Amino acid sequence: MMARVTLRNLAAHKIRLVLTAVAVILGVAFVSGTLIFTDTMNKQFDDLFDSIGKNVAVDVRAKKAVDDPMDDGTQALPVPASLVETLRKVDGVKDVAGNVTGYAAVVGRDGKIVGTESQGPPQLGVNWVPGGDYELTSGRAPRGSGEVVLDSDTADKAGLRVGDTVKIATQGPPQRMRLVGVFDAGGMMGATITAFDTPTAQRLLGRPGYFSDIQLSSAGPSETELRDRVARVLPAGYEAITGTQLREDAKSDVATFMGFFRTFLLVFALISIFVGAFIIFNTFSMLVAQRTRELALLRAIGAARPQITRAVVGEAVAVGAVGSTLGLAAGAGLAALLNAQIMGEDGGALVFTATPVIWSYAVGIVVTVVSAYFPARRAAKVPPVAAMRDDVALPQRSLRVRVALGSLLTAAGAALIALGLTAGGGNPAIPVGIGALLVFLGVAMLAPVISVPVVRVLGAPFARLMGAPGRLARQNALRNPRRTAATAAALMIGLALITAVNVLGSSMRASVDAQIDKQFAADLVVSPTGAGGMGTEVAGKVAAAPGVTAATAYSLGQAKFDGKRHYYVAGDVAALARGSNLKMVSGGTALGRDGMLVDEDTADGGKLTVGSVVPVQFPDGKTERLRVAGVYAKNDLLGSRVVAQQTYLAHTPRPRVQGVIVEAADGAAVKQAVERALADYPNVKVQDRAALKEQAAEQVDGFVTFLTILLVMSVIIAAVGVVNTLALSVIERTREIGLLRAIGTDRRQLRRMIRLESIVIAVFGAVLGIAIGVVFGAALQQALEGEGLTELSVPAGTLGVYLVVAAVIGVVAAVWPAWRAGRMDVLKAISTE
Amino acid sequence: MTNTAPSTADAFDAPGAGDFAARAEQIAKVYGSGDAKVIALDAVTVGIPRGRFTAIMGPSGSGKSTLMHCMAGLDSVDSGQVFIGDVELTRLRDKQLTRLRRDKVGFIFQAFNLVPTLTALENITLPMDIAGRRPDREWLDKVIDTVGLRQRLKHRPNQLSGGQQQRVACARALASRPEIIFADEPTGNLDSRSGAEVLSFLRDSVTSMGQTIVMVTHDPSAAAYADQVLFLQDGRIVDTMTEPTAERVLERMKGFDLPGVAAR
Repeated sequence: MMARVTLRNLAAHKIRLVLTAVAVILGVAFVSGTLIFTDTMNKQFDDLFDSIGKNVAVDVRAKKAVDDPMDDGTQALPVPASLVETLRKVDGVKDVAGNVTGYAAVVGRDGKIVGTESQGPPQLGVNWVPGGDYELTSGRAPRGSGEVVLDSDTADKAGLRVGDTVKIATQGPPQRMRLVGVFDAGGMMGATITAFDTPTAQRLLGRPGYFSDIQLSSAGPSETELRDRVARVLPAGYEAITGTQLREDAKSDVATFMGFFRTFLLVFALISIFVGAFIIFNTFSMLVAQRTRELALLRAIGAARPQITRAVVGEAVAVGAVGSTLGLAAGAGLAALLNAQIMGEDGGALVFTATPVIWSYAVGIVVTVVSAYFPARRAAKVPPVAAMRDDVALPQRSLRVRVALGSLLTAAGAALIALGLTAGGGNPAIPVGIGALLVFLGVAMLAPVISVPVVRVLGAPFARLMGAPGRLARQNALRNPRRTAATAAALMIGLALITAVNVLGSSMRASVDAQIDKQFAADLVVSPTGAGGMGTEVAGKVAAAPGVTAATAYSLGQAKFDGKRHYYVAGDVAALARGSNLKMVSGGTALGRDGMLVDEDTADGGKLTVGSVVPVQFPDGKTERLRVAGVYAKNDLLGSRVVAQQTYLAHTPRPRVQGVIVEAADGAAVKQAVERALADYPNVKVQDRAALKEQAAEQVDGFVTFLTILLVMSVIIAAVGVVNTLALSVIERTREIGLLRAIGTDRRQLRRMIRLESIVIAVFGAVLGIAIGVVFGAALQQALEGEGLTELSVPAGTLGVYLVVAAVIGVVAAVWPAWRAGRMDVLKAISTE
Repeated sequence: MTNTAPSTADAFDAPGAGDFAARAEQIAKVYGSGDAKVIALDAVTVGIPRGRFTAIMGPSGSGKSTLMHCMAGLDSVDSGQVFIGDVELTRLRDKQLTRLRRDKVGFIFQAFNLVPTLTALENITLPMDIAGRRPDREWLDKVIDTVGLRQRLKHRPNQLSGGQQQRVACARALASRPEIIFADEPTGNLDSRSGAEVLSFLRDSVTSMGQTIVMVTHDPSAAAYADQVLFLQDGRIVDTMTEPTAERVLERMKGFDLPGVAAR
């Protein structure tokens, strides 16, 4: 019987429940979309790595002394070509192919690098291996130092045909070559591949006479058998791995990244769902309140409390199930869209596993039921006598209890955040995340109390300027503070996070600006645009430019300092110290071959003083004992450790320059001179102080924008919540609206009234969110002060824009409810029951 | 069921057309179609004399509420014309109709007359606030004193008794000096003492202020406060009575042999 009541209610309140389901659908779509998309990407990368080197039985490479995730193969010790003959003699080896891999990029007709610069898919240079992974689709293989072949996607993008001359940027001087062939590389996801004959590749990408690795195919023995045979003939410092291992390694690198990416997206999906929970809670609360009499009647004729609860929870299960199904479908659509966007035509079919399905239903139904449970419990508390009375409200817990609980939650959340930020060690994201969650819940509980004065103030200008509709709007927003608060709280969450991100971003920019002002003492810096670095000859070219008084190249390397991997900077220390305003705390900057400088924090952490000796293992496997020659005050340009240029060169097979610090007599004119001197290098940029700041600002802004976009979903869900609240309020106020119409309120005024109420609710949510966001952002800045986030900057202009955006959300959310209210039958006000 | 009966306007002693605050010409209204078809108004022609208190009586389903809704511009007619003063309502669009209701018509409903979020005073001045007009202070004071609500002006509707709420509704209807006030069972939800208060207040406003009032009721003792009574049955005006008393009205209603009324 109660099941029938549930079903009838679902049928009777279709629109309201559809609106509730929208909150579920959006959240679930985010979750399932993320899962399906990352599954699909994983599958495609797996396929890619399976196809690359599918014939490789054993791979011979240098042992990695320092496992550098950024290493593209050029930093490790290369394999001497002479080893090829040794390997060919191993019993069971069929073919032996030496590979050269490095950085080479195609310069397009516009003078720019083809493909994405800096972050993103790499620009790979390789040697052409006949019978290797790729097949020529036109032209022929490259021969000699002047010929190159390209993958077809890159050739198309650059508008190049076989026979054209093409400019290739490398770590050394750029090359002009003839394009003699095009090959099909399959889906490379935006990476570009440039192939040369082996000697040319070794010269341009690696070191003549050396390979990056050597790959063997088997004449019969199994991979492991062949690996063991090969291992016996290898000199020290080299290792043999099976082809399977090689492919798995490549896959696992991507899988690790995709796993991180997935978790990252899921965090935002969960935020959306958390916001959705507010909407569901609010909607069910309103539905229950509107059905008080009906529920009382059920109680009066003998329904037990658990039956009432079950009936309402049953509705929630149905809404959750329908919402999850639609959300799953929407998520699949979203994943397909992203897949097509990123992969283009190469995109394979979507990968469906059980995981997204299970999670969609689990998340959708559980969240709906949990959110609806409290309203359902309250529904059961309706006294049967309410059926007989006209003006019975649902029993509600007193606001005093709410305030106490809300304050407690807020305080607990704040304490957890503080703990997470200050304790250090472990993963601070978890206590901080849970703390933020508690703060949101706490403030949401306090919101009804806060709403009364705030809404009164926010609504005051409307009441004053808009006459009766304005006054009515304000009163309507005030008449049910819990409802206004729950609706606004949903919006608060998204805006709080967006605000926190913006405060952090703004603080980052301010901090970087301050650092550049304080520490960038040179006039210009020359740096590579891509991940490839620059050849060592760049410094010479810069130094020769008119007006340049000094050009100091520095390199970035990695090594294990006392067993732990760290980056270090290498270069002419005296010039670097000048260019970065280095302040010595103790010792001096005179560095020998065995000397190093460390910053204060490193010195304190490692208990190092001038004269201390640190064992340092370099990527080539060799270990040196470096003596601390000086300790400097924290310097963001140089990082934590500096070693001499000779030391870096001694341990790096293919040295590259990370940047050139330029000192000049007259900055502005010299910039152009340097740019002219480097006109041949499209993968190099020349920046002065302002450009450096701008670049930092762009990076921060890009990140802020990315996070904001991910958070926009939760704002959209909150906007749906505003629509929901207004629509339900309009239904609830049918008679009042009819009365207003009868006594002469026209539709425009009525719509305005609802719009203003919507604006007041939305802006209230935004005010709460921005306030919390600023506090969160400031707390994070304080916590990260030691990491270089020295300045706190609150972007007041941007936050002002968000307030306006919130008001616009209010206007948009009100469109449909206001339209409905305007269309309502005037006579309903008069008809008694 | 066509307009054959010579029952309506000429059935009572009508003053000239210029003296009607509102009138209806041959208005018809049908709900539903086929078997479910209900003729709510059947070619009704009626004039509401200015400055008088007119009651419309009839059993449930007689069409009295529909007649009032149509004459007040709350509902549309299928055919015929409705006038308030010289303005023909049936030609007006929603916006003009709304404006007309706001400026020329006052309403008192059986229940839910007041906006719960506004105080008594705010409710009284609401039509003028909506119009963006300032209330006539002197007149407003007079109205408030007449209904005897001066001590209750700051109260919200839920802090007022049913009778007080209806008096606020009356004050609202009067405050903007409308051409005509339509009252739909204004005492339907009140006990007899509060009802009598409201009715004598309406009576006074006609007598001393010259207000025109139309009231729908099925209570003969309420109808007795009016100057004249129109009797409606099956969508037609079947009789009129001037200088009614409760006894005469009750007697007349019994004459219609209407089970619903007879049972009361």
